[in-house]
Amino acid sequence: MSFLYTNWWIIPLLITSFSGVLCPAMGSVLITHKRLLQVNLISHCVLPGLALAMALGIDPSIGGVFSGLVGAIAAESLTNKKNQNYEAVMNTILAGSMGLGVLLIPLLGIRIDLEAVLFGDLLTANLSDLIRTLIAFSAFISLVFFGYDKLVYIGLDPEGAASSGVNVSSLNLALGLTTALVIVSSMSAVGVILVIALLSTPTLLGLQKARSLWIAMIRSSIFGLLISLLGFSLAMVLNLPPGPLISVLCVISLILIPKNN
Amino acid sequence: MSSLIAENLTYSYSTNIPPALNKVSLKLEPGSLTALVGPNGAGKSTLLSLLQGINRPDQGEIKVDGSPLINNRCQVALMPQRGKLNWSFPITVEGLVSLGRVNHSKSTCCELEAALQRVGISHLSKRRLDSLSGGQQQRALLAKTLMNPANIFLLDEPCSALDPPAKEDFLIIIRQLADSGLTVFVSSHDWGTSLNAYDKVVVLDKIILASGSPQEVQEKLSSINYLRWKL
Repeated sequence: MSFLYTNWWIIPLLITSFSGVLCPAMGSVLITHKRLLQVNLISHCVLPGLALAMALGIDPSIGGVFSGLVGAIAAESLTNKKNQNYEAVMNTILAGSMGLGVLLIPLLGIRIDLEAVLFGDLLTANLSDLIRTLIAFSAFISLVFFGYDKLVYIGLDPEGAASSGVNVSSLNLALGLTTALVIVSSMSAVGVILVIALLSTPTLLGLQKARSLWIAMIRSSIFGLLISLLGFSLAMVLNLPPGPLISVLCVISLILIPKNN
Repeated sequence: MSSLIAENLTYSYSTNIPPALNKVSLKLEPGSLTALVGPNGAGKSTLLSLLQGINRPDQGEIKVDGSPLINNRCQVALMPQRGKLNWSFPITVEGLVSLGRVNHSKSTCCELEAALQRVGISHLSKRRLDSLSGGQQQRALLAKTLMNPANIFLLDEPCSALDPPAKEDFLIIIRQLADSGLTVFVSSHDWGTSLNAYDKVVVLDKIILASGSPQEVQEKLSSINYLRWKL
């Protein structure tokens, strides 16, 4: 408990809390829109952008968001074409992007702590990680504030929304961009791979009998915050990495889902 | 009260396949209830998407109250097939119905209540959509469509998943809508006596095979022996 006498844990704790609220809220939108596979693709597409940005000497998160957005556009294009094998194609691109990212590290001669990017390294998080998380949080709040009705309509009836004049492509692109921001912002907390657990599990709990997307987002965020704080606290006490511990707690919390679902 | 006239509509999904619709003409009278029947793949949903302005015909034109459809799209509303909706989405009946006004002026509580009452489900307004029966879900979807400030309503196979009593109830509701002055055009797999519930029947199989009162259409189609191998 010696960490209580220092203040290095305050920023990691704040990042844990914001990611714990933000990821499940975002996950509620993505799961109800049946877009989790696209999210997986975006998360795997982040790594090549991170590597390129580092080689070019710019903020890695900008490169990560950019390549995540390219992944989002690829996912959107594949989904719209409705090719019956699009899931297989998407999974191939997903694996290829990760492979490309790993290859770029030695090819460009840069140093990236791959383990930290993929699985998070909360204890070394700094103020810029917190700012990144707050930017992603603001982007998500803006998306929900200005487009809630349209997000609901697209999730329920995409063709009907389009025929009613809702610009479905633009909104899906905004959703892809926000998703990329959320994934990159969660890099320090749980990593770009383990973020899927924080996007999905609390949402599965929060969606139970929710009467609106808004209620599902609030409930999911509460579950996400509890899981994240518990994971962070246990990691401190047991001296374990918080990201993987939070992911394992997500899996354990699946037992809370009623059996008839 | 609005009328819709479509003349010589031709539409292809791709240049290297035969047209889904070929020179289709029809007229929907104000305050009428018309059935659009035909086998699977006949082009019923394609025709409805053209009449609502989602797709543009390759040839032909559509007029609403004498003006081109493009200037009058708000007069036409489409109720989609139930398979197009994500029924597990977390939303209540009143949440669904209020979406009928997205991109139009905001709905008032009275308008929402009126739409729910018109289809007889105001007591279900707070229920989650996926907790309703198939018939109740279709009524909720109809109420959402009725929130559009339109006079012409196109319903794409609204009775396809309903049991006979629910189907009968649904037909009573759409008859009441037509009697109140709305123009209702319903695509359906109905045949035989169940078509007597409609004022007019249009039989489509990429072209218009027959059009007229239910009796006229059945006589015409039996004379060309169409039903034995198609419907």
